[in-house]
Amino acid sequence: MAVDLFHYLFVAAMLLVMGIFGIFLNRKNVIVILMSIELILLAANLNLVAFSASLDDLVGQVFVMFTLTVAAAEAAIGLAIVVIYFRNRGSIQVEDVNLMKG
Amino acid sequence: MISAVLFYVFAAILLVSAAMVVSSRNPVHSVLFLILAFFNAAALFLLAGAEFLAMILVIVYVGAVAVLFLFVVMMLDINFAELRSGYQRYLPVGLAVGAVLLTELAIVLGGWKVSPEAVTLRLSPRAAELHNTLQLGRLIYTDYIFLFQAAGLVLLVAMIGAIVLTLRDRTKSRHQNIAHQIARTPADTLELVDVPSRAGVASIGILRPKPAPQPEQAEASTGHAEGHH
Amino acid sequence: MNWTLALPEIVLACCGMAILLIGVLQKRDTFHLCSMLTVGAFLITAELVVSGSPGLGYNGLFTVDTFSTFVKLLVLVAATLGVILSLDYNEHANLRRFEFPVLMLYSTVGMLVMASASNLMSLYLGLELQSLSIYVLAAFARDELRSSEAGLKYFVLGSLASGLLLYGVSLVYGFSGTMEFARLAQALSNPAHVSPGLTVGVVFVIAGLAFKISAVPFHMWTPDVYEGAPTPVTAFLSTAPKVAAIALLMRVMATPFGHLLVQWQQVIILVSILSMLLGALGAIGQRNIKRLMAYSSIGHMGYALIGLAAGSEAGLRGVLIYMLTYVFMSAGTFACILAMRRRGRMLEQISDLAGLSRTDPGLALAFAIFMFSMAGIPPFTGFFGKYFIFTSAVQSGLWTLAVIGVLTSVVGAFYYIRIIKVIYFDAGGAEFDHCPASLSVVAAAGALFTTFFFVLPAPFIAAADAAAKALLL
Repeated sequence: MAVDLFHYLFVAAMLLVMGIFGIFLNRKNVIVILMSIELILLAANLNLVAFSASLDDLVGQVFVMFTLTVAAAEAAIGLAIVVIYFRNRGSIQVEDVNLMKG
Repeated sequence: MISAVLFYVFAAILLVSAAMVVSSRNPVHSVLFLILAFFNAAALFLLAGAEFLAMILVIVYVGAVAVLFLFVVMMLDINFAELRSGYQRYLPVGLAVGAVLLTELAIVLGGWKVSPEAVTLRLSPRAAELHNTLQLGRLIYTDYIFLFQAAGLVLLVAMIGAIVLTLRDRTKSRHQNIAHQIARTPADTLELVDVPSRAGVASIGILRPKPAPQPEQAEASTGHAEGHH
Repeated sequence: MNWTLALPEIVLACCGMAILLIGVLQKRDTFHLCSMLTVGAFLITAELVVSGSPGLGYNGLFTVDTFSTFVKLLVLVAATLGVILSLDYNEHANLRRFEFPVLMLYSTVGMLVMASASNLMSLYLGLELQSLSIYVLAAFARDELRSSEAGLKYFVLGSLASGLLLYGVSLVYGFSGTMEFARLAQALSNPAHVSPGLTVGVVFVIAGLAFKISAVPFHMWTPDVYEGAPTPVTAFLSTAPKVAAIALLMRVMATPFGHLLVQWQQVIILVSILSMLLGALGAIGQRNIKRLMAYSSIGHMGYALIGLAAGSEAGLRGVLIYMLTYVFMSAGTFACILAMRRRGRMLEQISDLAGLSRTDPGLALAFAIFMFSMAGIPPFTGFFGKYFIFTSAVQSGLWTLAVIGVLTSVVGAFYYIRIIKVIYFDAGGAEFDHCPASLSVVAAAGALFTTFFFVLPAPFIAAADAAAKALLL
């Protein structure tokens, strides 16, 4: 690896924070929330790849393959649920729903 | 040296595009920035020596997932201006939470060192003489076959789920029923009427074909009604 | 490699594919047939689980021991009850689609993998297989706004939780060099070597798992999802996945992170106290019985976590017994809730139960048994669950936790007994529709187990004991 591992970890941590931040910021727009979740998963994957390189161990990379699979499946199901929600409601806002109050 | 510079360039673009994903006004832009972020993450994977994963990230993520996002954004007719309300309100809280989390993570991660036992613990050390794809292939079909199959089941569930949630029988579209077409006789469809001379449509009325009892037709109408309730 | 270790999972997954094929290829309605076949597949799997031999296989990804056997059997029982509960409801609610039992089946495969996970990778994949199926099930009534909203909320929060869990897993991997439980335990045996990064990773993992059992800081989704999802899905959601997730939490905390007890104990104690308080206080004002069950399940998870916080063998045994009793109480209660139907319309308000004792004494009695049991009144099972948990907490010196537990269960008893009061003493409404046989069977099974557990508790306690011992080895 060309650079110190810490730089990789820092980039991944920034990505994680941006993902969480994005969820906070776009509470009404479900599609952007789904994208923020993709960023969080990307952060974890970047971490795993960086650790894998620095520990000289392939398990991290193997795991990233499976997490990528799971993340793709998750995106498919998430978007399917968004589509049916949109069909029922005509919008993708989650927050202004008074149907169920806690 | 070059690769260090490349790392900083790619990392910077990655972070900027990630920021644009969450803060962009238009979700279409968000998706495009997400694609850019994935490309740059793939470059970082390459720099870390994970060539195969870098390619997978580009092919699967950019090629399939991000395009799926784009597709859904385009398909749903969403009033985006409305979705932006409340954005300003959450900004300070979000920034505060983000800053605190980032500082904490940076402090914690700064203390990273390879733990002394790690060398003895690792399961699949990298073999220098083989290329990355071959090594991964050797692992996932042998040592990690269990995970490989489980990931297959996850994809199966995703497929079932997406189909069961979104597929609707297209009752409105008309399918060709060949048996029905062949079984038609002139008696079913033709009616011979004696039209007196000089009598127009006004006097005999417009002739409509006999409403043949067609099963598809009946289904289509009920399906239509169901679709609206 | 000993691949037969995972035989129950493999057989169940193959059965799932066969059922899927049957459903797809048959032109007629196959919901009933597929549900029955799913129940059959669960029974075959249970038989294979019982006859399986212990061991560690698949390159350390998968382990079979008495603990996993206990949990798997409980999960299979809960899933079977869930499928049976869905039969009648789906018939009426126009959800007669064969994918419903198939998704339940794959969710159960995920739970079985969770129960046997001995590596953070198989943990993650099992958890995701389980959750993804349930996201779809929660949104299954796709023409209903309530259901799709429940699915959406559950999905967004659930995938956020699993993203955080994954990030935690990556930190644990990086800072210890392995993801295998046995090696992690070995790496962590010297607490001096434990870096703060690892602790942060463990916290992220706990947070992800706490979401799955809806423990308090991560409980926000529970009431909405419980209310919005189709009722059989709620019944399923409140039993089998809870067992699997808490079993996973127990295994992760006891085996790889067992040496870090001092670090995580504080977190679990806090989560447990908050869950018990919220479960007790949140339920008080509820009018909707499904929401009430949501708060009740948050509270129950709080009690179960006491046993985990105790960190002793007695505590772990207590958790297992608690989950055993919880599954039967909860499935039985949902059977009663599903029987609340008047002229084809499902009812969900507590006030709709008024006068039930006169119109349907059998159902009223079953309801009362479950409510007394949930409140922890002897001789019903709920009492024994709480008893084992509280004694283990006292043995481990967690006096405050036990005292708070007792206090919150007194508060909890208030709203459970309020339901009994509505059933027996309030002036009644009209009669419910005839209770279908499938619901009667589940309600009767739950009521019998809940009532007569005290007659012969020894085999269950012995099994839980053996399971807890296997975990602490």
